[in-house]
Amino acid sequence: MCNHNELQQNPSHFEESDQVGTHRDMNWSEYQELIRGMRFFDPHIHMTSRTTDDYQAMADAGIVAIIEPAFWLGQPRTGLSSFKDYYSSLVGWERFRSSQFGIKHYCTIGLNSREANNEPLAERVMEILPLFLYKEGVVGVGEIGFDDQTAAEEKYYRAQLELAKEARLPVQVHTPHRDKKKGTERSMAIALEHGLDPSWVTIDHNNEETVKSVLDQGFYAAFTIYPFTKMGNERMVKVVEQYGPERIMVNSAADWGISDPLAIPKTAALMKMSGISDEAIRKVTYQNAIDAFGLSGQIDVADFENGVSVDQSQKFNGNTILRGGQQPRVAKDSLVIR
Amino acid sequence: MPGLLINDLLWEVLKQNLTTTEQQWLNEKSLAQPRELMTAFVAAPRILSKRVVDMDVAHSLEISKLLPGFSIEGWTVVRLGRVWLLTCLDASGKEEYTRYIDTLFDTAEMNELVALYSALPLLEYPEQWLFRATDAVRSNMGVVLDAIALHNPYPSRHFTDPAWNQLVLKVIFNDKPIHYIVGLDERANEPLARTLSDFAHERWAAGRKVAPQVWRLVSKFMDDALLKDMEHLFRSSQPYDRESAALACHHAHYEPAHQLLASHPDLEKAVQHGTLTWAQLEFTDLNTYV
Repeated sequence: MCNHNELQQNPSHFEESDQVGTHRDMNWSEYQELIRGMRFFDPHIHMTSRTTDDYQAMADAGIVAIIEPAFWLGQPRTGLSSFKDYYSSLVGWERFRSSQFGIKHYCTIGLNSREANNEPLAERVMEILPLFLYKEGVVGVGEIGFDDQTAAEEKYYRAQLELAKEARLPVQVHTPHRDKKKGTERSMAIALEHGLDPSWVTIDHNNEETVKSVLDQGFYAAFTIYPFTKMGNERMVKVVEQYGPERIMVNSAADWGISDPLAIPKTAALMKMSGISDEAIRKVTYQNAIDAFGLSGQIDVADFENGVSVDQSQKFNGNTILRGGQQPRVAKDSLVIR
Repeated sequence: MPGLLINDLLWEVLKQNLTTTEQQWLNEKSLAQPRELMTAFVAAPRILSKRVVDMDVAHSLEISKLLPGFSIEGWTVVRLGRVWLLTCLDASGKEEYTRYIDTLFDTAEMNELVALYSALPLLEYPEQWLFRATDAVRSNMGVVLDAIALHNPYPSRHFTDPAWNQLVLKVIFNDKPIHYIVGLDERANEPLARTLSDFAHERWAAGRKVAPQVWRLVSKFMDDALLKDMEHLFRSSQPYDRESAALACHHAHYEPAHQLLASHPDLEKAVQHGTLTWAQLEFTDLNTYV
């Protein structure tokens, strides 16, 4: 169990865990009907930290594709091989695991801001990044940006913006928890300084305070629905009501913290209840993310819009998740385990 | 040099499947410095189509003549392009060549792994890849296991018996088509037959089924213990259980097995007249877990 002190020592995406947002959790039975037939794309979720139960629930709730940004694992890595293996797992095992639940898995690859502070290691990580950035299904450089807003963080943020330009990849920018507003402005100014087209850059973890400037400058604005912390889904509804659905996207950023992999379907249901149009809901929970990260040329909607197809090779995939012809289903209510 | 010939042949198939721009790109990269060639290997899906390769029968026959067991049937253009690129890599310096291939393995995503393992029978210094090849058998990514285990002549040529047996067991365990393993009959061995019998007993204890091709691998080693398994199979309500027992007994060099078969005259006749063969029990859609 995590006590409060531990949470403070190891904050995940949002630190102000004492600040209760305007958030409403819902049971599946409450919102199932509201989102029936909707498809969702979660452009920020760390499946490495999640269970197969989550994958099942996500598929049931209509999530058809996801992006897993490379991030901090909760403690610093001590060597290059740990980075290499982590990146490999994002394009390998995790992608495969996801496919077994009918969810198309993409990722963004980058050196996260916290670990940019270990300069000798960061230098070596930079050398191997190009090996991964050109890989199939890598839809951007991310998540990169500021945490502490140190000089080292700035150095590697800039270097990675250059990599993104060279590889013609979109950028997924993590904005800092502390001194957020300044950090967000600084992230955008640097991106523009490096000549990036703002429509190729998604600024993540926005709130009411940052969104206007992000949209005004032509960037994509992503919002992370992270229960009981920064952005609640009821507030998200108000943001969409105020700013409309253009260049806004919702994500869960679900990870090893107290987070919710179903944040998008639940927010969609709330929007529906609030009378937001289906088309606007579709944009912020599906289409805008595809438009933003599709610039990579790596997203083919045919791969998931009608569900992830199970081809011949998939059919023969025996593995520790699904053996033989086993379906990705466990009868949770059943006492008997076959 | 056989490597050269297969390289030419694969290029011919590729040419039939590539647009002019794709051809130019691939050809240029194949002649580039190793670093650039390796980057092209990684970036292939950004340039080449993910369509399945279209191939005429003549090419298909030619390939299996050059490299028995090897097949590019069902491959995508990307996979074939990648494998072909690997055959273009300068192999004159063993140390450098090994390092290049190792780097590709170490940083590979799933489809790159598939291409790398499919290319093993075409790579130089085959003994260098033995550990990697056995590691692929340990993979839980289905397509990666397929790439090493099915239609790939590398394992039967280079694996030790224990490694070979592990591969066969894993394929059986995962309900994959056993008959797609290259060299299955040639590498049948007694320890494998014993393990398969144990495996069958566990399955039966769990109320599950056993793939019929399993019994093809025990036939040569039939003895009293295995004969008990045959009796069990003949009692099964599942037709393919009885048919596989009949075939295993028929092909055994063990008189009591022939006597047992004789007590099932219909099946005996079918086997003797060649109306029942192992080929009829080659399933690709098995699910023995239900």
